[in-house]
Amino acid sequence: MLRASEVTKAYGTDPVFDGLSIDVDAGEVVAVIGPSGVGKTTLLGLLALSEEPDEGTVTLDGTNVWDADETKRLSLRRRVGMVFQEASLFDASVGRNVEYGLRVRRPWSDRLRNGVASLLGANSTTDAVRESLDVVGLADALDQHAGSLSGGEAQRVSFARALAYRPDVLLLDEPTSDLDPRNTAVIESAIDAARDRGIGVVVATHDMHQARRVADRVAVLLDHGITEMAPTEVVFEDPSDERTRQFINGELVY
Amino acid sequence: MTFDLIVQFGLALFELPFREGYVSSIIYVSLYVSLAAVALSTLFSIPVALVVGLTDFPGKQFVKSVINTGMGFPSVVVGLIVLFAVSNQGPLGSLELIFTKQAMIMSQFVLATPPITAISLAAVTGVDESVRDAARALGGTRFDVALVVVKEARYGIATAVLAGFGRAISEVGSVLIVGGNITGADGISKTRTLTTAIQLEARQGQYETAMVLGAVLVALVLTVNAVVVRFGDRGVQR
Repeated sequence: MLRASEVTKAYGTDPVFDGLSIDVDAGEVVAVIGPSGVGKTTLLGLLALSEEPDEGTVTLDGTNVWDADETKRLSLRRRVGMVFQEASLFDASVGRNVEYGLRVRRPWSDRLRNGVASLLGANSTTDAVRESLDVVGLADALDQHAGSLSGGEAQRVSFARALAYRPDVLLLDEPTSDLDPRNTAVIESAIDAARDRGIGVVVATHDMHQARRVADRVAVLLDHGITEMAPTEVVFEDPSDERTRQFINGELVY
Repeated sequence: MTFDLIVQFGLALFELPFREGYVSSIIYVSLYVSLAAVALSTLFSIPVALVVGLTDFPGKQFVKSVINTGMGFPSVVVGLIVLFAVSNQGPLGSLELIFTKQAMIMSQFVLATPPITAISLAAVTGVDESVRDAARALGGTRFDVALVVVKEARYGIATAVLAGFGRAISEVGSVLIVGGNITGADGISKTRTLTTAIQLEARQGQYETAMVLGAVLVALVLTVNAVVVRFGDRGVQR
């Protein structure tokens, strides 16, 4: 479904990727593992269709994203959801936060009408907002202010916010690195829920145990490219690439 | 007119012999000119602050310096420039704006725009970049991202508008020059504002009158502050 092929990307003279390829299908979870600073966030930027590769192609359902015009690219970009390491919630209620992706997809006439209605105190919460908050166990927090949430709750809301508009692909950048085990478990079960809905999930993580728990396939990002991409068991039990094996075993020191 | 009755009642408490409608007409001119100028300045300043704050372009530092210099620009000089512009020989002379409220709005606009832009710019720049990234990642267009930034910066922008209003309504020099501090034959203010009236009354030795007008001016500023703060707090439960 979403595929990056032979992608090259450099910041100035520093190469980040050289001939990198990765893909994710509907209803599967792909974990991207690799040491810190190897470019996991840049890779997610490419997959989020916000970073243009220097060379190579990024396609969504066969459409070359960077050949498309801006309108088309916006509509492609809107099929991809993203959750950052930081929750980055808006200074508004939980409900308004989760609704955001749905709101920007509506025509302006609707948005203005809803804006006036909500100023007058009308409640416009949709089922999609409730459902996605339900997935992260925060259905009761709908009317709370985002600023009153704990870090873990905020990250769960951030997940719900990306889920609410039903993206085809969901990208997660170290979604649990700042979280306690309980909130981590909630996020991981939400990843399962997203897969069950047919969403293709890419999760960048430095936690190999997490990769093992949630992923169907694992991509190992080392030295400017994917050294190995295979079903989770294969990568962890019987990697074909020597650097991958060393990284998995903790022998590769960065 | 109810407003006039309230003002007359208030003045009666001080037992001051004002002509009927005089004080309320001064308040009206002050508010009309300042609010109109601040509204125009805000419409101009927020897009400028967004463009300067959120995009990179050559000459950005220069634009920032111009805005900051504008904050300290002497109001009498602004008045003088606007006066030349609207005077008979000036480029806008044919519009016959000299000694009118419109000319006063023009000079107040020039005065209120730099502080509103500078403070809005600081507020806009203060919005965490991660929030902008989130808005974009969730499918927002550039315009949507800008809207999110305005919402996140709303308290700072409210402060900016207040600062602009404060500068406009308490300003004497330029409104005196371009407005002329005029009342009609009936004693009703045409271009006389609270500040220019205070200045005139004090110079004529009418200290009580000047004091009352000063109190009215302070009360106005406080009221507008309270309204904006109250409005800015709407819909936010912490």
